[in-house]
Amino acid sequence: MNEPMRRILIVLPMYGGSLPIGRYCGQALRILGHVVEYFEAPGFHSAFSALKTLRVGTDRLDYLENSLLQVVSQAVLAKVEAFAPDLVLAMAQAPLSRQALKRLQRDKVPTAMWFVEDHEVFPYWKAFAPLYDTFAVIQKGNFPACLSEVGQPNAFYLPLAADPSVHHPLSLSPLERRKYGSELSFVGAGYPNRRLAFRQLINYDLRIWGNDWDGEYLLTPFLQRNGQRIDTDEVVRIFNASTININLHSSVRPGTLIAGGDFVNPRTFELAACGAFQLVDRRTLLPELFTADELAVFDSMSGLLQAVEHYRANPEARAEIAARGRARVLAEHTYVHRMDTLMAHLQSLMSPKTGDPSWLEEIPSDLREDLDRLLVKLGLNPSASFQDVVCAVRGQGGRLGRLETAILFLDEWKKQYTPKRPEK
Amino acid sequence: MQREAAGTLPGPRARYLVIQLARFGDLIQTKRLLVSLMACGEVHLLVDRSLTALARLAFPGVRVHGISAHGTHGPAILGLVHDDLQELQAHQFHRIYNLNYSGLNFALASLFPVDQVRGYRLAHGQRVVDAWPAQVMRWTKVRTTRGLNLVDVWGLYADQPVEPERVNPAASAGGIGLGVVMAGQNARRSVPPRVLAPLVHAASKRIGHGPILLLGAGAERRAAAELRAALPGSLRGAVRDLVGKTSWADLFEVVGGLGLLLSPDTGTMHLAAHLGVPVMAFFLSSAWCHETGPYGTGHLVLQAMATCAPCLETGSCPNGVLCRNVFSEPGLLRYVSGQDVAQFPPHVAAMASTVDSLGVCFRPDAGIDPFMEERQSFRAAVARIAGIPGPAPCSVPLDESWIQERDWMLPQTLRGRANE
Repeated sequence: MNEPMRRILIVLPMYGGSLPIGRYCGQALRILGHVVEYFEAPGFHSAFSALKTLRVGTDRLDYLENSLLQVVSQAVLAKVEAFAPDLVLAMAQAPLSRQALKRLQRDKVPTAMWFVEDHEVFPYWKAFAPLYDTFAVIQKGNFPACLSEVGQPNAFYLPLAADPSVHHPLSLSPLERRKYGSELSFVGAGYPNRRLAFRQLINYDLRIWGNDWDGEYLLTPFLQRNGQRIDTDEVVRIFNASTININLHSSVRPGTLIAGGDFVNPRTFELAACGAFQLVDRRTLLPELFTADELAVFDSMSGLLQAVEHYRANPEARAEIAARGRARVLAEHTYVHRMDTLMAHLQSLMSPKTGDPSWLEEIPSDLREDLDRLLVKLGLNPSASFQDVVCAVRGQGGRLGRLETAILFLDEWKKQYTPKRPEK
Repeated sequence: MQREAAGTLPGPRARYLVIQLARFGDLIQTKRLLVSLMACGEVHLLVDRSLTALARLAFPGVRVHGISAHGTHGPAILGLVHDDLQELQAHQFHRIYNLNYSGLNFALASLFPVDQVRGYRLAHGQRVVDAWPAQVMRWTKVRTTRGLNLVDVWGLYADQPVEPERVNPAASAGGIGLGVVMAGQNARRSVPPRVLAPLVHAASKRIGHGPILLLGAGAERRAAAELRAALPGSLRGAVRDLVGKTSWADLFEVVGGLGLLLSPDTGTMHLAAHLGVPVMAFFLSSAWCHETGPYGTGHLVLQAMATCAPCLETGSCPNGVLCRNVFSEPGLLRYVSGQDVAQFPPHVAAMASTVDSLGVCFRPDAGIDPFMEERQSFRAAVARIAGIPGPAPCSVPLDESWIQERDWMLPQTLRGRANE
């Protein structure tokens, strides 16, 4: 890692697709040697959901929901105050109000949003984008110009990725293959274009996994677990167990089966990282991410049907494409790659690192070995500042060891008896 | 309030750790908790390294551990603390009483399972204050009408606190001579030599004979010399200046042999109470006898009762510490000397210590305490919250402004236990 170690607060959304992505980002940043803490917004979701069970007037519910979101925003600010991050990285739907973002601007806390959504579907970015220092997006086209128009000149393209520690090939038992496998498979929500498209696949051994498929009677026999949400661990098993994974990007445009949009969804990278074979619909940004022999692409419904016929009969071709796709992901499309890019882009926004790694020289020699082991355990590099170590120790749960406790004790001692708190 | 299930209480040989990282006086004031716990099991006490000898002298049945907690140890303490913690880790404690609201205490809590720590805990990096100390902190926001002695605050952490009269011996003037403590930790709580000298003169008349022993830290040598110079010539020959010259063992021996100790709110004052030596204390500024008065029966506190008292020692005094002036009042000095006083001066009261079922309390021996009845109602309420028999409330209704919505809405558990 070339960049200095940073303290990063990742503000997760309460729920939704960007939630696991936020966690993958945190894991990647830790691999890169940064100190990461999460703002665990999912913990507040149950309170938010409870409001919807009140059976009160809509005005009152609206007021209560906004009030709760303000409280959650205040909680983020409190976390920022306590953790003193070099960067606040917010994922799409992160509960940061405009007021909170203005406060962070005033306090000169660098903020970045990774907007992993389709800007044409979700237009709310216009009100929030100018309040972030940097806005990372998964689309190109006119989106950067649109962002500039609303007052966000510092946008940049950051495609999605996979986390190989989560998305990887599995050796499945025959029982697991029966449980999760099929000739054709799809994991995801029942968007209109998918409903229309998959009606033409009902003559195959098809399994559909995921939610929001209600009312789709023709596909009901193929829907698994009554449309329950499938957790990531099982999704990876399904990817691995399926002969052909259909990856059809969502579209809400009526009558459009193959959207032909620009951004590439996370499933593309995740399937490839699993070494699983996929048929993915063409996206304008796909060629710069994968070559033609790394992914099998279709442009139309008839093209999908032809590809299914072709590849179901050619296991070697499937295996070769899948292997090349996985190799490309590992080489260029992991969240570690993305976070490395993000941090390089943000370097100029963050204050110069003024930590003092010389504190390590003052550690008694008999403790050095223990401390080195602790730094490895915490995922910190040997030049970590004292405050970074304190943050990482404090972020651990449960009962701490003797050295960790002594480090927290020394930090408190310094705060109590040293007039000015040391620079982080 | 839910009581802790009896089945979860530690057995008869439970092992407890009490963490007391504050200073001399606080250490002595931990006594009720320590004595209560000793009745139930093995008690360990963690104090600053500089106080281990004192702790061993004061609490011979307790296993004392030291840690480099105070500022005097300098910042290169990581290795020392690491070694200190090894000793603690060697024991399996059933419960840890972490008594001080300090970052150091929160840090130490992380060494233990979070559900075994009482007082101040660290849960997944989050500081958590138990219900009992949080409640006590709220009470201190209005100090005049309330007041729970710190010995009782800590003592009531115990599941079965010993009766107040079993904590310290009743004051008994069996010794010889007058001890004079020059100053306390906070300068505003002390009086200058010119004010102290008449008090010493009067107190020496009260006990009638014996030496006058000046006690204090080395920084008070000059004040001791000034005091000696300010005393009447007839007394100067009786003065023995021990300021800055006593070890903890010396202090124990000297204080234990006194007939009376004259002192502001100091650790030595608490030591005298610990030993059953009568105390005549003078409390002013932020010092409030209902919170930190000498524990046990038979002590006296000359409590300044200015309308602004007790104040906060963190803020500067806009009145030039006028509460100090009452200690020069002729009527007060006559009282100190043991003479009858027809008219006790205003803005000061001589408060005598006694105990009720909750703990130590102070009632006027001379002068007026306008909040006595209200405090009585307060103490009755505190006893109910603490789950022990308490004094009967009096007719003055209790000020209930300290009750918060969270007390009603969140599950509460008995003394010191967390809001689970």
